[in-house]
Amino acid sequence: MLPAALFLAAFVAWPLVKLVTDSFFEISPIKGGPREFVAFDNYAQAFGSDAFRGAALRTVGYTVIVVAFEFLLGLATALLFSALGRRSAVFRTIFLYPLMIAPVVAGLLWRFLLIDNSGIVNHLLFRAGLLDSPTQVGWLSDPDIVLWAVAIPDIWLTTSFMTLVLFAGLQNIPGDVLEAARLDGARPWTLLLRIIIPLLRPVIAVALIVRGIDAAKAFDIILIQTGGGPQNASQTLSLLIYQTMIRFGEPGLASAMGTVYLLAMLAVATVAVWFIWRPGAQS
Amino acid sequence: MNGLEVRRPTARGLLWALLVSVVVLYGFPFVYLLLTSFKTPFDTLAVPPTILPPEWTTENYAAALDRPGVVPSFINSLSTATISTLVTLVLAVPAAYGITRFRTRFGRVFIMAALVTRMVPPVAVGVPLMSTISALHLTDTPTGLAIAHTTISLPLSIWLMASFFEAVPEELDEAAKVDGCSRLGALWRVVIPVVSGGMAVTAIFAFLASWNEFLYALLLTSVRAQTTPIVIANFQTQFGLDWGPMTALATLYSVPVILLTLVLQRHIVAGLTLGAVKG
Repeated sequence: MLPAALFLAAFVAWPLVKLVTDSFFEISPIKGGPREFVAFDNYAQAFGSDAFRGAALRTVGYTVIVVAFEFLLGLATALLFSALGRRSAVFRTIFLYPLMIAPVVAGLLWRFLLIDNSGIVNHLLFRAGLLDSPTQVGWLSDPDIVLWAVAIPDIWLTTSFMTLVLFAGLQNIPGDVLEAARLDGARPWTLLLRIIIPLLRPVIAVALIVRGIDAAKAFDIILIQTGGGPQNASQTLSLLIYQTMIRFGEPGLASAMGTVYLLAMLAVATVAVWFIWRPGAQS
Repeated sequence: MNGLEVRRPTARGLLWALLVSVVVLYGFPFVYLLLTSFKTPFDTLAVPPTILPPEWTTENYAAALDRPGVVPSFINSLSTATISTLVTLVLAVPAAYGITRFRTRFGRVFIMAALVTRMVPPVAVGVPLMSTISALHLTDTPTGLAIAHTTISLPLSIWLMASFFEAVPEELDEAAKVDGCSRLGALWRVVIPVVSGGMAVTAIFAFLASWNEFLYALLLTSVRAQTTPIVIANFQTQFGLDWGPMTALATLYSVPVILLTLVLQRHIVAGLTLGAVKG
């Protein structure tokens, strides 16, 4: 236990301490440059900036979009697999493959599929009669929809995780409970909302928490598609902090933003874990 | 196999059709990537785009592999992921064993702390981690990057391994000790072989996490230790939108891990669903 604890202390806890310390300084981006203690100035600057507030909202929006779609699609496919039983196993395997693909590859692939003039998605939608022209929707260039569009590869990449976890949960629902409900005349829809989902609640909670944390941290998948644009409409906190640090060379401000981001993540996730899941209870 | 299975033949037929279309839709993006990697540069950007290459070519693969830095980046990715996987296992296995067998207060706090680590946004620790790695003179080396990647996979690995150890009855350790093994001997000779399947799952996750990681690779490497995801991303800035070689390289990078997954899929499903269903 000790070596692992020391490792995490050295390479996670110590950098975090440095992050928080840095957030109270005005730091020159040049190595060995001057440092000046400025107390909470960086925090004031972060909270006062539209970029930071906007990015925070977009991070929440992005996370909700990704997790909501993954949950709905994942539950639907998990039910489909359950309805078909054992023989659907081969398809479950195929369904697994995007989990192994690098987010960078997924982001670039979808950027290619959605590209304005020669993207295959718009052409297929056009041929199916859903669009009037193949250039009607500018997925990644229209600030109003870009946050939805950048979420697509993330949804594509990890819906199978949701499906797998929910499917495993569905297998544990006792058959006689469902049978009894059916004999009482429960319709499929009632069965789903009143029996299946309540019984799956712990599994759903875990899946939502795990995916929510990951989606809120999303970086490369968005960076590679839009770099945060157009007009910063897809700039989430990860991107903003990265750009503040690297492009604008303000490590102090970036550290303050990072600290706020970290605290917010910890607060939300801890509350969620504590109330819904309680991993401590089992060990 | 359970009460959710639909038995009426007509309904089953419809559901099968639905399932096949879902899987085809889900598989299409990657198939399209594969097909695009065999298109000529002209066909890649044709308007309207075609699904099948009008003319098949392997020139994209030759072009991708010819680029300076591409082949070394594969070696870097492989060595970084291997080092990170080994370090993760060496640290996670004893830690998880200790947590499940000794049940101290420290163990409980530690496993919660490990869970909290998962919530830390990499972008927040990335830059301070850079200076830690450079203080160790490991900047731009596979080892330095592997250390960063281990911080990502270690918490999950401890969590996974703890669940696997929980499944092994403690009587097994006791029996080994009665037969004259020390505690370490019991772990090494008796318990480890029983959880070797679980270790394989943990190793796969650690390997994949490192293989596919981008942000730390971007921050911690520049030339010598650059991994393939960075090289793939650089295709768009350095050479314009060069989709042909980019798709070829993305294919070369993804296919080995996809094949690996298909071969080992039973174990992976077990690992992915373990924590969730148990909780």
